[in-house]
Parts: sequence; C-alpha cells; structure tokens
Amino acid sequence: MDIIVCIKRVPETAEADLVIDGTKKAIETDDLVYSINEWDNYAVEAAIQLKEAEGGTITVISVGPEENNEVLRRALAMGADEAIRLTDPAFEGSDAYAMAKVLAAAIKDMPHDLILTGVQADDDGFGATGVALAQMLGLPYAALVTDIKKEGDTLTVHRELEGGLEEVDTLKLPALLTIQTGINEPRYVSIMGIRRVAKKEIAAKGAADLGLSENDVGLNGSMSQIEELFFPPVGEGAEIIEGTMDEKAETLVKILKERGGIA
Amino acid sequence: METMEQSLPERLDLYTCIQCGKCTGGCPVSIKSPLNIRRVVRESAVREDLHVFFSRLEIWDCTTCSTCAIRCPRGLRPVDAIIGLREMMVEEGRIEKTIIDALDGAYKYGNPWGRAKNKRAEWAQDLEIANALEMDPGQILYFVCCAASYDPRVQSVAKSLATVLRAGGVNFGILGNKEVCCGSEIRRMGEVGLFEMLMEENMKNFTKVNPQTIVTTSPHCMNALKNEYEGLGAEVLHYSQFVWRLIEEEKLSFSTEVPMKVTYHDPCYLGKQNGVFDEPRNVLKSIPGIEFTEFGRCRENSLCCEGGGGRMWMEGTNVGKRLSEIRVEDALEMGVEAIVTACPFCLLTLEDAVKTTGNEEKIKVIDLMELASMGLGVRPEVEGRR
Repeated sequence: MDIIVCIKRVPETAEADLVIDGTKKAIETDDLVYSINEWDNYAVEAAIQLKEAEGGTITVISVGPEENNEVLRRALAMGADEAIRLTDPAFEGSDAYAMAKVLAAAIKDMPHDLILTGVQADDDGFGATGVALAQMLGLPYAALVTDIKKEGDTLTVHRELEGGLEEVDTLKLPALLTIQTGINEPRYVSIMGIRRVAKKEIAAKGAADLGLSENDVGLNGSMSQIEELFFPPVGEGAEIIEGTMDEKAETLVKILKERGGIA
Repeated sequence: METMEQSLPERLDLYTCIQCGKCTGGCPVSIKSPLNIRRVVRESAVREDLHVFFSRLEIWDCTTCSTCAIRCPRGLRPVDAIIGLREMMVEEGRIEKTIIDALDGAYKYGNPWGRAKNKRAEWAQDLEIANALEMDPGQILYFVCCAASYDPRVQSVAKSLATVLRAGGVNFGILGNKEVCCGSEIRRMGEVGLFEMLMEENMKNFTKVNPQTIVTTSPHCMNALKNEYEGLGAEVLHYSQFVWRLIEEEKLSFSTEVPMKVTYHDPCYLGKQNGVFDEPRNVLKSIPGIEFTEFGRCRENSLCCEGGGGRMWMEGTNVGKRLSEIRVEDALEMGVEAIVTACPFCLLTLEDAVKTTGNEEKIKVIDLMELASMGLGVRPEVEGRR
C-alpha cells in the first residue's frame, strides 16, 4: 500500500507570549519554536503502523521553505521512505483551498492508495485542507478519524463526532483520511535517528514543476484571506477566588460541585 | 544493536560479571521494585534479543544512583546496562509519553519541562547578576540549569546562592537565556544524541566565556560537566565545594545565629558518585546555632531520594513506599527540625514526602544555600511549588 502523508511545520504557541505584527494579519515568529503540526504527527504514526502491518511505502509531503525539511526529516527518521517539499514564493498567502490545490497538483501523478492529513493545523486551524484535497483528487474521504482497520481494498474507520458519538464508516481505497489526535501513540524520534537521515535527499518542487500558474495559488488562488488578527476582548464573568490556599481550594471545590463539574 | 559497533554486554564488559549480587543487595529500589539489577546484567549478557526488556516497566525504576557501580567487586557499572537498554528503547521510539515530553521539551526549549526559553533567567531579573558572556575570561560562571531556573521552589536556591556568592565577594555571571539543560537526566533517560546536542550548545558558550571555575546548583550538572562533557578546560565545582573554599579562605563567614537542629541528606550524585561528603557538612557546621545530627544511613550508605535517572518525569512501576518518605520518617525519629540537602531533586522529592506523610508542621526541608543565606541574615523567600 502506497501512503502519502501531508505534514505542516507550525510554531508552538502554548507556552509563548504571542505578539501580533505590524500588518495585523500575522504574529511575530522570531522567538517561536517550530515543530510538526500535532495532528500530522499522529497521521505519520498511523501511516507507519499501516506500513508495518501491510507493507508498502510512505511518502511525506510538506509545503513551505527549506526549514520544512526539518519536519520532513523527522518523518523520515520515524519511518517514512521518501519526502517531497513543495516550495515557491507564489505559494505565500495560500488559504486551505489554494494549499489543497498545491498538494493535489503534486499528488495526482504519484501512485497512492491512501492519503493522510491531520484534521487541522495548530496555527490556522482551518480544518479544510484535507477534505478539499480529497474533493480535488476525487477520492472518498473520512474526517476526524480515530481508528483505522484495513481489509482487502476496504477501510473501516471510526470518526469522532460531537457529544461523544462515534461513527463507523467503510471506504474503498484509494481514499483520504484526516487523522484526529489520540488515534495512536506517536513514537519518539531520537536525535541519532534524525542524524542518520540527514543526508537523504529531499526533492523540492515549485509552481512550474507542478503545472500551477500564479493565479492558481497564493492570495490570487485563494477563496479567503485574513483581514485582521486580534486578541479576544477581555469579557466579564470571571471570578477571582480570594483567601488562603486552603480557603481558595474549599471555595473552588464548592463552585465545581454546585455547577456540576465534579460529583 | 546494529547501530553500535559493540553489543551492549561487550561495551560494558558484562560477560565478566560473577553474579555475586552485591549490586542488587545495595540497590535502593530493589526493596520495593521488581527491578533486579543482577538479573538485568545477566540477561543482557545472555539474551540474544534484548527487546524482551522493552515491556518491562521496572527498567525505568532505576534512579541511576550508582550504588551498584560502587559496590561491584569487578568494577563493572551495572547502572550503565539500564541506561543502555533505555538507549535502545529511545532509538526505537518505544518510550512512555512523559519521557517523550521531557525529551521534546529539552530539544525544543532547552529544558525538560518545556518551559519558554526566554523565561529561563526570570528568577534573576531583580538581582542584577552579570551576563557571563560579557565578562572577562577567568571569572566564575554560575551554571544554574533547569530546576533552579524554572521551579519556583528551587529558584529560592539559586537566589540564596547568589546572596552567598556576593557575601563572599565573588564576581560571577550566568548565561541567562543562552544556557540550556546540562543533559545529565536526558542521557540517563537514554537520549545520547540529545545529550550531545545540549553539551555542544553549552560548550559553545563555555568556550566564549572561558571561565576559571563553573559552579553548579545541582550535583547532577556538576557530574555531567565534570565527568561527561568533552574538552571542558574550566574547573567544575558543586556550590557546596565552592562555598566551603570561600569559608576556608576566610572570604566568607556566617554571623547570624540559626538555632536549628538539622540532619543532612547526601545527594547520590554529590556523595556516592563524586565523593563530596565533607564540604557540605563543613559549610553546615560553620553556621552558628546549627545543631547537627547524622542520619544512620549517611555518606556512602545514604538512601537515594528516587529523584534521579529521569524519575522526575517517569514513575516506573511505582510500587511501595517512596524512599523519600522513609527518609522523612527516619529524620522525624531523630527529632530534627529540618532535613538539609544540596540537590534540587532531593529538595523536591523530600519536600513532597513531608507533605504526603502529613508532617508539614513537624519538619522542614531546606537547601544548604538557603540555610547559608539565613546565616548571613537573609531569609530566603520560599515559594510553594506550582
């Protein structure tokens, strides 16, 4: 089974103090640490587990500058066979739709039985690239996948729905799945492992190589664009609990009980 | 393992083990854990496929205190077999989530708690400590490392040490946000490559600063810098050694009476592994008012607190009573008011044990530098842990 996994390099924001830059359309990224998008890490692990069970190949693809080789190499160290980087100044400003076009242009001529993406990306959070890509490639898809079983050319997958519901679907291969976090336990990638694949070539392809014009990608080829970024205004309703540590704990437990947070 | 030129037993000379069992006999966790270090050594030597160890959670029970290595009559290092097995697990990516998080944190942020890099020197912001990278060569570099930089409880140790160094007239600087984890615990969790990366990063700055002496907060860092960093020209001392030297050279003395009955808990990485037993005791005894009693199990026989070898991030099988609780109970029986120690991990595990045994009203855990600071009339501000 030939699997393609689309991965994104994103800044980690959980611990960072975010600053909106002068354009008001982006954040300052100088001090931020980058890594593979969390959902995509689960997707790579899912691909490796399928390969371990079924054989085949894994190709990882990422759109972005040379720094993206970092996440591609990490995926190679984890167990992927090949890596491709799609890069062109014209791709700047692409929304999820234009991004899907870039990925589709690269994938359409590659052999593939299964395409995996993360459900969404940690930075933009569109959650649309994967499903848009499936549409463009004419593939059946399932989003928010939390379990994968393969039998012949049929996949049985679980999807995580609202309110704790789980849906079970069957899809015929080739297909596309967007992978939810928690589907597996992604393995650790050691520094020595990354060093071992340091010399492996990562092919880079631009718009022209993919047969894309400037109007297909970037802002021109997008359906949406960012107008403004801002922090949510400070609202009301927050309650600061006062007192000694013990009093605070007691009040907190009381509130949680009253509002049904704990039994 | 394919990637290493020699197999694990060859590399560690495990075939020469005579199976006397002195290692297991001295192992502090063997009283409560399925971990049997003698058996691990034997199995590592005779098993064809070491993957059998991968499902054994007790491999993570080892605190790397190294009592086994001290007691081995053949001069072997059984503890290194544990670390070697962990290295294999790390290489195959088959390790627990909490370990992965610690390693990822050290890789991305330079500290195993994954705290922001630009907050590393926050503890020092009001203290006007020199930037070591702007000092002349041949000075004193204080290597703070992660626990003292980020843990609110241990920050008090760093602040106290700064007070003591100043009272001793020492010109010193820190690397601030340029410092990264020493890698000691990272190496013991089996991530050799990451240890080397962190070492290279610190070595770059050590070379720039070119200090005469590097003083560390933690015995773990002291051990790593002194015994494991390659090409480091500077003298490396734990703060207890450096401060005792200041006292001996009559550059520092304590004038404020600290009337307190205390005992001293030997950190394994300071005592057992580096033979530093007397300096911390000497510092302690030079503070007026201190009444000192030894633990029954002290010096080479000191009971490990279970904070080392990655145990701050991994519980292992976690069966039985914590050794730190035994330690606290022993101290209570001795009738002391405080356990003094000289290692961030010992400080945290012992203090946790005071809380879990419900003895907060009866006994305190104090770092040696906090006590020294009190001897200078400066009461450390000890914040609770997050």
